[in-house]
Amino acid sequence: MSGYGKSANDVPLEGSIPTGTAPLESILRTEELQRRPSRPPDYEKENRALVKLVSALADSPGTIFQTLAETIQDITQCDSAGLSLLTKDGKKPHVEGQRFYWPAICGMWNPHVGGGTPRNFGPCGDVLDQNRTLLFTHFERRYPYLMPVSPTAEECLLVPFYVDGKAVGTIWGIMHSERRKFDAEDNRVMASLGKFASSAYQSWMHIEDLKIQVAQREKAEAEVRELASGLEAKIRRLVEANVVGIVMWNLEGTITGGNEAFLHTVQYDREDLAAGRVRWKDLTPLEWSDRDERAIDQLKATGIFQPYEKEFFRKDGGRVPILLGGALFEGSGNEGVAFVLDLTEQKRQESARLYSEERYRVVVETASDVVVNVDDKGSIVFANPATATIFGYDPAELAGKPLTLLMPAYMRELHQTGFSRYLATGQRHMNWQGTELTALRKNGEEFPVEVSFGEITRDGHKTFTGFLRDISKRKQAEQALRRSEAFLAEAQHLSHTGSFSWRVATGEITWSEQLYRIYELENSVPVTLELIRTRVHPEDLTLYERMVEEARIGASDFEWQYRLLMPDHSIKYMHALARPTRDQDGQLEYIAAVQDVTARRLAEEARDKARSELTHVARVTSLGTLTASIAHELNQPLSGIVTNASTCLRMLAADPPNVDGARETARRTIRDGNRASEMITRLRALFSKKSTTIQALDLNEAIREVIALSMSELQKNRVILRPELAQDLPLVTGDRVQLQQVILNLLRNASDAMSTVDDRPRDLLIRTEPDDNDRVRLSVSDVGMGFEPQAADKLFEAFYSTKNEGMGIGLSVSRSIIEHHHGRLWATPNNGPGVTFSFSIPCRPEGLTSDGARAGRIPSVSDAA
Amino acid sequence: MESRQVRRAVDRPLVSVVDDDESVRESLPDLLGEFGFAARAFSSAEEFLASDCVDQTRCLILDVAMPGISGPELQRELKLRRREIPIVFITAQREETVRRQVIERGAIECLFKPFSDTALLEAINLALRPK
Repeated sequence: MSGYGKSANDVPLEGSIPTGTAPLESILRTEELQRRPSRPPDYEKENRALVKLVSALADSPGTIFQTLAETIQDITQCDSAGLSLLTKDGKKPHVEGQRFYWPAICGMWNPHVGGGTPRNFGPCGDVLDQNRTLLFTHFERRYPYLMPVSPTAEECLLVPFYVDGKAVGTIWGIMHSERRKFDAEDNRVMASLGKFASSAYQSWMHIEDLKIQVAQREKAEAEVRELASGLEAKIRRLVEANVVGIVMWNLEGTITGGNEAFLHTVQYDREDLAAGRVRWKDLTPLEWSDRDERAIDQLKATGIFQPYEKEFFRKDGGRVPILLGGALFEGSGNEGVAFVLDLTEQKRQESARLYSEERYRVVVETASDVVVNVDDKGSIVFANPATATIFGYDPAELAGKPLTLLMPAYMRELHQTGFSRYLATGQRHMNWQGTELTALRKNGEEFPVEVSFGEITRDGHKTFTGFLRDISKRKQAEQALRRSEAFLAEAQHLSHTGSFSWRVATGEITWSEQLYRIYELENSVPVTLELIRTRVHPEDLTLYERMVEEARIGASDFEWQYRLLMPDHSIKYMHALARPTRDQDGQLEYIAAVQDVTARRLAEEARDKARSELTHVARVTSLGTLTASIAHELNQPLSGIVTNASTCLRMLAADPPNVDGARETARRTIRDGNRASEMITRLRALFSKKSTTIQALDLNEAIREVIALSMSELQKNRVILRPELAQDLPLVTGDRVQLQQVILNLLRNASDAMSTVDDRPRDLLIRTEPDDNDRVRLSVSDVGMGFEPQAADKLFEAFYSTKNEGMGIGLSVSRSIIEHHHGRLWATPNNGPGVTFSFSIPCRPEGLTSDGARAGRIPSVSDAA
Repeated sequence: MESRQVRRAVDRPLVSVVDDDESVRESLPDLLGEFGFAARAFSSAEEFLASDCVDQTRCLILDVAMPGISGPELQRELKLRRREIPIVFITAQREETVRRQVIERGAIECLFKPFSDTALLEAINLALRPK
């Protein structure tokens, strides 16, 4: 310790620190150490030096620092060597010191013993900050306060050393010229000497402790002396300040005095105190009695008791947490003073803090997202259990590993650059909240994550908490959604189908892209019912409005066909299907699909037209063939009859009359007449091949079958059929098939009659009812164009038709069938537009026969066609 | 009777009848005889074409519908052979289209069976009038 305390020479310590000094990197040469040619280790010399050091530790601990410095200089052959120790007061070493002081220096810098450097701005501080050996060159360039310390240090090798894991100082060697440079061997030797430094430190501290104890004892005695004179005054000041509760007490359990702060804590008043009602033994809950006993034992032994936490009852019976500490009065042996600190607020804060920490811990531990804590070196400090699930790493194995481990290789450099820049400049290279990045699992698999980061600065160091959410599933779902949306759009496009939703309450209508295309409207146009209306074919507007009305109130599935009239006057056929749903607010909303069936419809129409033309041709042809063949067969004998009769007359009129010729021609006339008669018999036989089937039947049921057969055709013709079939209709007797042919014929006629009706719904009413005289009546009413009154009788004549594709033969045949059933078929004009065709047939079978020969065969509709 | 027929046959114009119906072939020549014409009857167009009467026939009474060569086909055939015999069609089918068609092709008349004797005579006289 030679020189210790005598220094305090010319070294200006921290004083003022000029700005604009050289950066730390520029005065560091540490990395060079390994590259410099190294001298071979001189183990013999080293051992000698260490033995000397060890004996110095044992024999003369007081000079141990000096011996250490000398050893450094001896082994490294440097110009100056010494120690720096952390201190609070510039003299005694202290681990929490704010300065380094130099207790021992040998060599050229020996005169500077007792000087030092600040903790936060100097080479020793740098060594402790970086926690490793550093080699400086001309450190005065950065730390100008070292300039006056001569000679200047060309190079200085500094090594940290520790006691109980805490850095307490450095050892160092200095070269003041370029005579020689430190190398790796010096580095090794210095590191080894560092270990001795900590032993030296502890030995020295032990000596210092002894000194301190002696000094303390002297001081304590002085204090006791002072206490005796000024104690009461001091206590009084303390009591009156009411900063803490102060009580006077005796060992019997009574509190003999207390200040306002105490009374406030236990909520007693001064009268209680004066009356002796406040006893510390009574204030103490039972479970704290033992602790009190121990304090009393301590008190009796040492005169004081260490402060401890306990509880007091308040006057209202509630408990208050307190810190209690005190001492016996000098010489009394029974009475003392104590302070009582109300801990309520502290306990509350502590509990809140514990709760908050616990809550945080639970959140982090159970979070399904990864939570990682990273220090300002970029190393992982903590990772939560989700890390195992998501990344495949055990959270423990990640501690101390770089965060970049969790990133694909190509992202690491980018991250490092950004991270370093942020630490240096505070400039962020990415958004810290909800950024999507690629992460790397332990098994090498890359996956998308959503990353958010937060930072906390504590003790001058930044730590970062990152939240990483595995979004691969979400990404897949997003992709799947995009794909299915694309599929849907394509499907809509291919099938000419659009879709829409309609919120009835708000009128809000949303169309798919394809629907805009079908309606030939711009995507940007907001859709309204009114807008749709402008496209609906004028003839279908009634239908459209009825549909909208029904949809508003109905809330049931519906389906309808309508036409659009486009601006270029082309017509589009639409088929719509809608289904009601309830949205999240319970409001009625329709989801609908609308298909453009124009192409199909046009094809169907062409096909139907071809079919109907074909039917007509076939009907006319077969009818023509039939009548022609009948005419031909009959006209041949008739022609013979007429010619023979003419010849006969002429022969009789001749002069003289040719009686023989006349007789011959008359004979031929008779023969041909018989031939014609035979012909008619043959024809009748031809028509009478089938016989009718007479049975009791339910006319309503027969009607329903016909309706089922013709429904699609009626719908196609946009006919709205309304059956009004009487309940409990009596059975009728007749040929079911023939009657059904009549009904079918009437329905078709009615439908055809309305084919040009577009200014009103094409209503078709079919009704059954009991009629007079044990008969049943069926009537079919249309709202078609009707007929002239004078045409009423001709309607049922064969070949009479008011229509181009006439069904006239059908009505004539229908009447034959009904008449054969002993019924009647007739037509009457309606009060409004259209006609009602009715037939009425008896229920009982009288007079009806299946004998075709007698009654004549009932011709059927299909025969006529 | 026989001698009158023979005598008349020399100077009376020949009217030929072609019809597949026997009653026509049977009755019509008698009526034509009463009218004062010579008459021959054939049951088919083929029979008529094969006979020696084609050149002598001054008027042909022709059925429309016959098995084999039909009436209108015989009309066309005769035109091709430049035998422009005036033709009166007779038919049991009341078809205006056929009637219009054959008249457009040069027939004198087309009578629907059964026809009256006067209508037939008018048609034959029209056929025989000098051109």
